[in-house]
Amino acid sequence: MSKLVREEYTIDGVKTVLYTAGKGDPLVFFHGAGTVDGFDFAEAWTDKFRVIAAYHPGWGESGDDTTFTEIHDYVMHYLELFDALKLDTFNLVGLSLGGYLAAKFASEHGHRVKKLALIAPFGMHDPEHPTLDIISTPGEQVVPMLASNFEVLKNRLPANIDVEFLAARYRESTTVARLLWEHPIDSRLPRYLHRLQMPTLVVWGDEDKIIPVHQAQLWREHIPNAEVMIVKGAGHLVHLEKPEVAPAIGKFLL
Amino acid sequence: MSGALRFNVMHFMPYAHLPENHKEFKSTWVSFPNKYYDPEKGHELYQRYFEQLVLADKLGFDAIVLNEHHNTVYSMMATPNVVAAALVPQVKRAKICVWGVPPNFMLPNRLAEEYAILDVLSKGRLEIAFPLGTGMEYWSNPVNPVTSRERFRESLKIMLQAWKEDGPTTYYGKFYTYRFLNPWPRPYQKPHPPCYIVGTGSPETIELAAELGFGYSSVFVPKQKALELNEKLRERSAHYGHTLRPDQLPLLNFIYVAETQEEAEKEYPVHLQRFFEDYARSTPQWLAPPGYISVEQLKIRSAGADKMHGAFDFKAISGAFFISVGTPEKVANEMGEWAEKMKTNHLNSVMHVADMPHWKTVKNLTLFAEEVIPRLRKGENR
Repeated sequence: MSKLVREEYTIDGVKTVLYTAGKGDPLVFFHGAGTVDGFDFAEAWTDKFRVIAAYHPGWGESGDDTTFTEIHDYVMHYLELFDALKLDTFNLVGLSLGGYLAAKFASEHGHRVKKLALIAPFGMHDPEHPTLDIISTPGEQVVPMLASNFEVLKNRLPANIDVEFLAARYRESTTVARLLWEHPIDSRLPRYLHRLQMPTLVVWGDEDKIIPVHQAQLWREHIPNAEVMIVKGAGHLVHLEKPEVAPAIGKFLL
Repeated sequence: MSGALRFNVMHFMPYAHLPENHKEFKSTWVSFPNKYYDPEKGHELYQRYFEQLVLADKLGFDAIVLNEHHNTVYSMMATPNVVAAALVPQVKRAKICVWGVPPNFMLPNRLAEEYAILDVLSKGRLEIAFPLGTGMEYWSNPVNPVTSRERFRESLKIMLQAWKEDGPTTYYGKFYTYRFLNPWPRPYQKPHPPCYIVGTGSPETIELAAELGFGYSSVFVPKQKALELNEKLRERSAHYGHTLRPDQLPLLNFIYVAETQEEAEKEYPVHLQRFFEDYARSTPQWLAPPGYISVEQLKIRSAGADKMHGAFDFKAISGAFFISVGTPEKVANEMGEWAEKMKTNHLNSVMHVADMPHWKTVKNLTLFAEEVIPRLRKGENR
């Protein structure tokens, strides 16, 4: 396992920070709607893959692009980042909102994605088992719902929630609102999921309080070659809660 | 200042029957259950509030002021233009100020039309203010708060085009497309009724008011900040070639007049306390939906919010904001000082707050009109 190293790029005028390490086939990771969970879990993949985990514009250490108002703007951003990195084909892993982005990317540029893993992906509309509305749910309520075993997240949060921490979350919420406030449901997503012809793994914690595990079934129905892995006793941040998850994804992608 | 002074009465028309358990709710806005709204009581309240505004007209107030809020007990004027239309035939003389409808929650041509109808109906007695809308309104309406300022600018541009240029014209913007912008009727006042922007002093809004040559009224900001905002507006207006007139700076204030100081201090504070603690009760999340303010503004507000906590302190709050409670003489003196300091002749007074009973509001309005206004007009305060 190698430690991830920070690199900084300017992509179409936007500061883009990524963390990378390892040798082998490229593995790109798309993070979710928050960034407090960090990238260090991805070090588990560095033995077999060249891992690339970037902050999307509007999140974490990357800069803002206030013209980004739909998920497709992020697809375009990654096309340009991949050009800068001279990445042609790669494995793609997306978590939560990043799972939605990964599915969009793969449905439009499937020939570049060798294998796809979606961890508790956002984007399906299941009226019986709806996704928690993270826009209207107060942040202090969302955070404890992220994991079944909150201890795994606790040490990543500051001991005292200060103005700087709140401001960073407000900025990321603003980025999410720019994308999802008016149209949280993308009815076109399932319409084109049949284009995910690559081997695909859908991973879900069976105690997910943000995006209910029942939605895994919808993904299985819409993706031609989807394998589903349900992890017992884990919540939304299943990759943090269960150390066996990252290696299992790595094994699938090999 | 004498003679030119102008006196408005502003009414929020609150739903004054909070349920006994209302303290269980962190906010009386956005998500406060509307099962607690009783239309029978609502009807009585409208009757009462209309009576108060009609009385204000008869007593000689220069203008009545209405505004818009959603999903809250704070105001029963979700659509103030409807309320204004009902008031036009009853309020015979005073100006009718809709201060106002947040344009972001209306199609701009419809808002231009509604205001034109009110202006024609009232034979040119309409005045308009444009608010961005509080954060709470964005939780209650289907408009993205991230786009609020950009959309606001575009809406105003369309409305001004509709009023100032002979139609049909076209407009192709980011949010709206008009192939035939040609609203009928057109305003009675040419080219349009007097316009203001109301806000809590964000730099973008001040800049827009200056650019358009509009008046500006800051609301719910402490005295010192309000003074700075007025100065800022004067400076920025000049930059755009507009000379700011005193009447373009309406000063929002809270007033209660009684025969004696003791009476005033006995009768009023409980209602003001309920106004701040119950009717205006909101949460940081409702106040600042994502993107509604910049990250920098959020930091400033978060730091300031810590200071606002704690028990209601009538003395402290009266000192910090434009609140005057007491005898006609005291109120006249204080208002005269405010007007002078703020370089305005336009006083916009809230005379009814929260669950104040009818008799107190009537007394307040009457004493103000008969004892305070004449003192100020004659310059007796000096």
